[in-house]
Amino acid sequence: MSDIQKNERKLTIARGMAEAIAAEMRADSRVFVMGEDIAKLGGVYGNARGLLAEFGDQRVLDTPISETAFIGAGVGAASDGMRPIVELMFVDFFGVCMDAIYNLMAKNTYFSGGNVRVPMVLMTSTGGGYSDGGQHSQCLYGTFAHLPGMKVVCPSNAYDAKGLMTAAIRDDNPVVYMYHKSLQGMGWLGTEAGSVVEVPAAAYEVEIGKAAVVREGSDVTIVSLALGVHHALKAAVRLAEMGINAEVVDLRSLVPLDRETIFNSVRKTGRLLVIDEDYSSYGVTGEVIATVTERSINILKAAPRRVAYPDIPIPFARHMEQFALPNAEKVVRAVEEMMGACS
Amino acid sequence: MIDIVVPADRWDSDDQAVITVWLVQDGATVAAGDLVAEIMCVKTQHEIRSPSNGVLSIVATVDSVVSKGDVMARIAA
Repeated sequence: MSDIQKNERKLTIARGMAEAIAAEMRADSRVFVMGEDIAKLGGVYGNARGLLAEFGDQRVLDTPISETAFIGAGVGAASDGMRPIVELMFVDFFGVCMDAIYNLMAKNTYFSGGNVRVPMVLMTSTGGGYSDGGQHSQCLYGTFAHLPGMKVVCPSNAYDAKGLMTAAIRDDNPVVYMYHKSLQGMGWLGTEAGSVVEVPAAAYEVEIGKAAVVREGSDVTIVSLALGVHHALKAAVRLAEMGINAEVVDLRSLVPLDRETIFNSVRKTGRLLVIDEDYSSYGVTGEVIATVTERSINILKAAPRRVAYPDIPIPFARHMEQFALPNAEKVVRAVEEMMGACS
Repeated sequence: MIDIVVPADRWDSDDQAVITVWLVQDGATVAAGDLVAEIMCVKTQHEIRSPSNGVLSIVATVDSVVSKGDVMARIAA
């Protein structure tokens, strides 16, 4: 075992995911992993590194490029008592296998009157920012969170990534585990430094359905998830220099959504801004805003705002993609406008 | 003082690499064999482990471009 002092060991999200999977595979022989480039390569995002060497090719499987087949197989295995972790390499590829995901994985428990459980983790990468085009850069959080029957989680740092993966594997419900490529710690995708944090070596769970207040403030609540949390934290530092005190809420889970934490924060600050790299309309931003306004509009000092991806296909050209993406600067500008609106 | 250098045997070419992450804090106490960093060369990541016990001081920070043999960190016993 490592002699690195406990409080000094840091992990990337990729390593946090792999460590959680390995621990659960040691503890439970029903857990196995499969997906494209999962075994020999250890996952293109590094989240299955070391698993093939420890657990062998009966429990760590490379699949053909046929999401329809292997995600369907995962649902079957889960319905039959196994606990599969299946990777959809890019969330953008959900089109060919959506029937297995939202008609089978998400609904079999309901259709069977509770007689069939589907304890499956579908892990999938999200997000852009590295010029990979409109079919490799989407987030689609709202698409999956919209459909009933699946839990949905989206970590922003390695601590939450490990704890949410452990909780997802142990959960008897299907869990869609969406991880942002820019947070994985893979150099070629750009790495957000704030995602690399201290992580305990022992197993632990981060409860699915609980948001975290990652920075306390009194003037405005900034709600986000995954990479957006890091935009929010950077914006909060700049806003503090202007005398504006921002609170930052990391959703961590989209389903169940921790509406209580969102509402309580906005009740305190009176202002709400939501950041999402998914498309603006019909998505996470609208849901978070409705969470507050359905309950009370009297607590608001300004109209809620969103900084989200415009409703357009994601451009390949770097300067066009960067222009469209959310960032800390856009958040600072929006908050400044919100503060001005009430002064 | 023992140096952690960019290894010469992980890839064939003389291509440079980038430090993608330090997995310990500057000043951490480490043991021989501990995973301390990852570096990337041509989209492939390589693990860097500590060669000895001691206190690690980072020399090449994240995003530094390094060549084989460059000092990444020093370890004081």
